Amino acid sequence: MRFVPTYRPRSSALHAARAGASAGFCCAFALAGALYEDPLVLGAALAGVLLAAGAAGVGAEVRRTLWLSLPLALLVTLVNPLVYSEGDTLLVRGGDFLGHRFDITLEALVSGALAGFRVVVIVTALGLMSAAVDQDDLLKLFRRVSYRSALTASLATRLVPVLARDASRMSDAARCRARPAERLAVLRAALSGALDRAVDVAAALEVRGYGLAGRPAHRHTPWSRHDLRVAGAALAVAACALAGRLAGVGAVETYPTLDLATGPGGLALAVGLVAFAGLPFAGAAARLGVARG
Amino acid sequence: MAEPLATVEGLTYTYPGAPAPALTDVSLQLEPGSFTVLAGASGSGKSTLLRALCGLVPHFHGGDVRGELSVGGLDVRDNGPGELAAVCGTVFQDPETQVVMGGVHAELALPLEHRGEVPGAVARAVEETALALGVGHLLERRTETLSGGELQRVAIAAALVHRPALLLLDEPTSQLDPVAGDELIWMLRRLNEDWGTSVVLAEHRLERCLPAADRVLALSGGRIACDADPRAFLGWAAGSAPELVTPVGRLFSLAGLGPLPASVKEARAALRSGGLEPGAAPSDEAPAERPPRRLFRRRPPAPAAVALRGAWLELEDGPVVLRGVDVRFEPGERVALMGRNGAGKSTLLRLARGLVEPTRGKVERAGDVALLLQNPGDYLIHEHAEEEAGRDALAAAGLAGRERSNPRDLSGGERQRLALEVALGDGGQAAVLLDEPTRGMDRPHRQALTERIERLAADGAAVVVATHDTEFAAGFATRVVLMGPGTVIADGPPRDVLAGGWHFSTEVARALDGAALTPEEGAAALHRELVT
Repeated sequence: MRFVPTYRPRSSALHAARAGASAGFCCAFALAGALYEDPLVLGAALAGVLLAAGAAGVGAEVRRTLWLSLPLALLVTLVNPLVYSEGDTLLVRGGDFLGHRFDITLEALVSGALAGFRVVVIVTALGLMSAAVDQDDLLKLFRRVSYRSALTASLATRLVPVLARDASRMSDAARCRARPAERLAVLRAALSGALDRAVDVAAALEVRGYGLAGRPAHRHTPWSRHDLRVAGAALAVAACALAGRLAGVGAVETYPTLDLATGPGGLALAVGLVAFAGLPFAGAAARLGVARG
Repeated sequence: MAEPLATVEGLTYTYPGAPAPALTDVSLQLEPGSFTVLAGASGSGKSTLLRALCGLVPHFHGGDVRGELSVGGLDVRDNGPGELAAVCGTVFQDPETQVVMGGVHAELALPLEHRGEVPGAVARAVEETALALGVGHLLERRTETLSGGELQRVAIAAALVHRPALLLLDEPTSQLDPVAGDELIWMLRRLNEDWGTSVVLAEHRLERCLPAADRVLALSGGRIACDADPRAFLGWAAGSAPELVTPVGRLFSLAGLGPLPASVKEARAALRSGGLEPGAAPSDEAPAERPPRRLFRRRPPAPAAVALRGAWLELEDGPVVLRGVDVRFEPGERVALMGRNGAGKSTLLRLARGLVEPTRGKVERAGDVALLLQNPGDYLIHEHAEEEAGRDALAAAGLAGRERSNPRDLSGGERQRLALEVALGDGGQAAVLLDEPTRGMDRPHRQALTERIERLAADGAAVVVATHDTEFAAGFATRVVLMGPGTVIADGPPRDVLAGGWHFSTEVARALDGAALTPEEGAAALHRELVT
């Protein structure tokens, strides 16, 4: 089972749209997660991501990413009150340690939980991007900016599963040795194997003309209906998130006392995020007719 | 006469730090539209010659070069692999490291983008190349979902997408099953015939590619030992390099017939014209008596070395790999486990070793079981050979004197032998299991492996080898177990299983209509025919 989703072609609007539009759609939700602390807005952003993932047929993969992000969120939640002692509501009175006073307050705990929630939203949105956007197409966008960096990133995404398979094989071989192998030796051999792979790939790239590589020409592709819808939804989500932030919508106070009340603006923003998440998938799908007779 | 596509004059090359040259005084010309096979044992210089022709030698590997080498009018000293890529496409052994992008379409487009082609030209070339090479249906696939054969075809398409005049291939079939390997060779022949692409192919399985070739260059110790057409090459090899003779060539050579045929078709035609058809003639030998069927199978008295009883393996989120397999391997048996890719051979071996537990049924073992997996390099994790196995084991592997060698510097055959000793340890196993041990192995190394298997069996171990190599199986096995998808579909002596098959059959059996499996048996049958 893979926690990090990998792209597989599927018949969904998000998969069919150009990589820039689909990536922009996912990043818009990550942006909402980064800009807000309001739990209602964050919940709406997360719901929007899960809604889009379900509609794109990658719900299971993105839910796995959500599970993957929870330990990180929990860590953030627990660390924040340990390093930040502000807040009026004292939960645990700690002592002095190395000149620092450790008091755990409700406000610091809630602030940590909200920061963890933001992590969950951002990671899940990026998981949707990983599952629904072709990395090759996405990296093509960057090749005109930095060809070699983008190609290196392509290679890395290609080689990760290859190296994972190599490591799994080496682990099996280690179990089949008559005398048990030290873990360090197996690890060292796995790293050497990865370097050998890298040398082979470098040779393959050389004979494909990598040495001559220059900035690729721009390709104009007409915008499809999916491109327009996904890009429109991405712009709408990003615009709402930015405008709301500038207008002070969804602002919460955590110190010195908690004030998590959501106003009508925050409520409207939350509804908008969920609604725009479904926009790319709305409308009748075109069907291919089959002529008979 | 057309200008040669490549000219090599007195080429001598030494890898950095190597004590001796890998190529010595090599001179040759490659004509446009030719199909050349490079033959020779492991380490004879085939790969180095290909790497010189594509510019990796010396530009990528470094080292000392003497002599002249030009490809498509470009001097290799002054032009690196990038420039030479315009003239020649190159494909290496391992399909996994040939393909560098995540999607097939992007993979095919990459060489053209490197060359600065405009997007319209890239799109058309990708589409046309994919359709011409039969990978059109793969264009939207992710490369990680492709089989080895599909990956190798995609690598060839990527090497040809800019229509180079010369295609260089270094053992492209060594990681493929026989069907995928044969398909690849015939695709190369079609490229050569339909588009005039010159092909230079280094390959150990000469029986697979000689029928397609019009020239064979045999290398020995870095020098060209023979440069001839396939029939003349076989005539030379019969006297000077018997290990390079194909099975039907060896059959004719042992039977004293000539000239040696380059294909099964030629062999059959020659035998027919000489009135020698042992398969068709009624045999005066009494047919082997089959044991009577028993209603109730009697349990063998001695315990099996390994036995699978109703073994199932059903993956939680995937297919059923094994479906109630019942099979037992007796001490001292030499068993070839055959079947197509995905039939469950490797899984059966893993179950027998205990790497995987069956979801239903059970596995019984009379003692320790050793398993050598497909990639011997995975077993070799230390800096020196002597750290992998003791001196006695190194001697058993034929590696005496190589104690301080880094295992990565050993040849493929040497690594295989060392890995087997690592898996065996002090020996005494009830069963020894080998998974595809002959991939990319030349004939002398296969023969050495056969002898090692015979010694292990003589010591009382059941030796079970999963293999696609019918010639190898016919040479070592006393029993062949043929697997279908997750089940055993045939189980018997090699003669019963391999003589009459369409696919699981040796070259000699095909030439003699199943009258014999190996060249030695076939030659004896032909002698009998000649006498009568």
